[in-house]
Amino acid sequence: MSEEYDDEEIILSELPDDELVEQMHDDLYDGLKDEIIEGTEILLSRGWSAEKVLSEALVGGMTIVGIDFRDGILFVPEVLLAANAMKGGMGILRPLLAETGAKPIGKMVIGTVKGDIHDIGKNLVAMMLEGAGFEVIDIGINNSVEEYFAALEEHKPDVLGMSALLTTTMPYMKVVIDAMTEKGIRDDYIVLVGGAPLNEEFGEAVGATAYCRDAATAASTAVELVAQKYAA
Amino acid sequence: MSERKGRRGGGGRSGKRAARQISQTKQAAYIERNIPYFEVLEESGLAQIEYNADTVLEEIGIEFRDDPEALQILKDAGADVQGELVRFPRGMCRSIIQASAPKEFTQHARNPENSTIIGGKRTVLVPAYGSPFVRDLDGGRRYATIEDFRNFVKLAYMSPGLHHSGGTICEPVDLPVNKRHFDMIYSHIKYSDKPFMGSVTAPERAQDTVDMCKIVFGDEFVDNNAVTASLINANSPMTFDDTMLGAAKVYARHNQATVVSPFILAGAMSPVTVAGTATQILAEALAGMAFVQLVNPGAPVVFGTFAAAVSMQTGAPTFGTPEPSLILYTAAALARRLGVPFRSGGGLNASKIPDAQAAYESANTLQTAALAGVNFMLHTAGWLEGGLVMSYEKFILDADQANMMPILLKGVDMSENGQAMDAMRETGPGNHFLGATHTQANFETAFYRSTIADNNSFEQWQEDGELDATQRANKIYKQMLADYEAPALDPAIDEALVEYMATRKASFPDKDY
Repeated sequence: MSEEYDDEEIILSELPDDELVEQMHDDLYDGLKDEIIEGTEILLSRGWSAEKVLSEALVGGMTIVGIDFRDGILFVPEVLLAANAMKGGMGILRPLLAETGAKPIGKMVIGTVKGDIHDIGKNLVAMMLEGAGFEVIDIGINNSVEEYFAALEEHKPDVLGMSALLTTTMPYMKVVIDAMTEKGIRDDYIVLVGGAPLNEEFGEAVGATAYCRDAATAASTAVELVAQKYAA
Repeated sequence: MSERKGRRGGGGRSGKRAARQISQTKQAAYIERNIPYFEVLEESGLAQIEYNADTVLEEIGIEFRDDPEALQILKDAGADVQGELVRFPRGMCRSIIQASAPKEFTQHARNPENSTIIGGKRTVLVPAYGSPFVRDLDGGRRYATIEDFRNFVKLAYMSPGLHHSGGTICEPVDLPVNKRHFDMIYSHIKYSDKPFMGSVTAPERAQDTVDMCKIVFGDEFVDNNAVTASLINANSPMTFDDTMLGAAKVYARHNQATVVSPFILAGAMSPVTVAGTATQILAEALAGMAFVQLVNPGAPVVFGTFAAAVSMQTGAPTFGTPEPSLILYTAAALARRLGVPFRSGGGLNASKIPDAQAAYESANTLQTAALAGVNFMLHTAGWLEGGLVMSYEKFILDADQANMMPILLKGVDMSENGQAMDAMRETGPGNHFLGATHTQANFETAFYRSTIADNNSFEQWQEDGELDATQRANKIYKQMLADYEAPALDPAIDEALVEYMATRKASFPDKDY
């Protein structure tokens, strides 16, 4: 990398607010978790609200990451690092946000459907969503209707995400959604589905709110739909 | 704090964008091979072909047409010359070649960084050669012009996977036949700084090539170093003509490299079998290369092989089929046994457009040539329609394939990092490797990233306009030409070249032969 960066020692606490936020955008981009935690703490100590830190420093930075991932500039392992750094900042902000009663960016329960143990795609979606500021409860693989329901009951998320890699397991998404309808809780949740064998048409047919073609789309769709829900 | 200094090397978005957008990474001047050769014949089979080739040379003979000097040279060396038919005692050609022909040689470029080595475990990738037509999505199929020629020189210059500027990269038919070589040679020198091939269509045009090179490199340097490698085709079957012999003599006398290539459409210009064709190729190449060594012992020669098969239904040449691949593997092994560099391969196909046929026929030939151990791979990029057409989009598609070759030929990294035991220890069962430390350290260069392939989701592809590979290549070649910047050329040399051409062009009338 270029030498001008190597020669530079940056002391975050000495930066004025606007430069610190800009530096945090860079640090998020470069996946520097410790630096993001430090920056978050500095902004809070300067009297910034948790909500403002979240939207300007963290979400602002992750938006750039998302754009460059979409444009092929950033690679998957780098986005994972960035999301991990974001998670570090969120760890500090989340309890503060809960205290102030600020509108959360969103909460999601995500899991792979019954019969399917392929979870790398689901894990990527979870990380992208965490990177977008979501609270993500990952209930893992091979989930039955009962397990999904238990998680919805316990965590009361905005979004339920279901994933499948196999054509033989993807119909189970309909089983889950039908059961939700039967129980009268379908409309309480945004339901996102995804996985290689799915498409838009399948998402509609099973009664999902939306089909998400990849992890980045899943994150942006979830953010958008949750924002709509709270705006309504 | 001290740790941050080192870690904060990414420079955020601006740093990454700048680094990632330099996609045309500089590559070495040749590919260095680190995997075994793929062989299709054992010792006994190769020895039988060598014996049979000597029988062809001894019993049937090779014609050297319309060149009394060549016949005299061969006669003086001990060949049996009857009219224009030359018969060689068993083993004569092989011993002449092995006595003086270099096993490998450096072909110098005007930019020393691009000087390449032809032979040994190296592969040099060279654009396609000789098409009268060009084609692109916008203009369709049309006769090539000098403007097209310049464009392809620029594209080859900008393609890191191509080590060479080629020769008659397409035929500028808008210029008079007897003068177009000036503009072609000048274009290679002016618009690129990679090595190139000289004119072979007449001895005086070969001489012009040498003289123009002397303006660039200096007289003494050219007389002692190969700065061109030029294509001397046998007029198969078993014939060399005065045009090719004349050019070969000029280049050999100036220590310039020649690529002696039997040009075989099997079934028409050689027998219909693999062994028969390989035998004839060896006999023709032996005779041609021995002749070059007699003209000037030690002048670099390359054993060339262009082998396709003709359709027995129509007589049309076919490409990317199994038989020419077997011929190529066999000829490569024969060249290694002889101890000279080998030329063959390329993105050969018979398709009219850069479609699936073009892609698979080209891939069949490219992979075969790479695995066989070709040293000088002419026709690597741009070839369509059996060589009649140089395609802009196909050039870009092939350049992507060319970029993959060094990785394939480098073989398997067995270093500690290559073994990746840490990655498996860190990740363990049921997790993914995308976040592992080893992945983080290696991901950027771990896998080849195609410049052409669309690996996005169906929906993303739809949003991007449902472009196929040819349409994507069309955008890329236009962007490359728009971004092209010429390599620096000493203005005094440029001026001398322009003056040389002007004087020479004025000294004789335009002719179309």
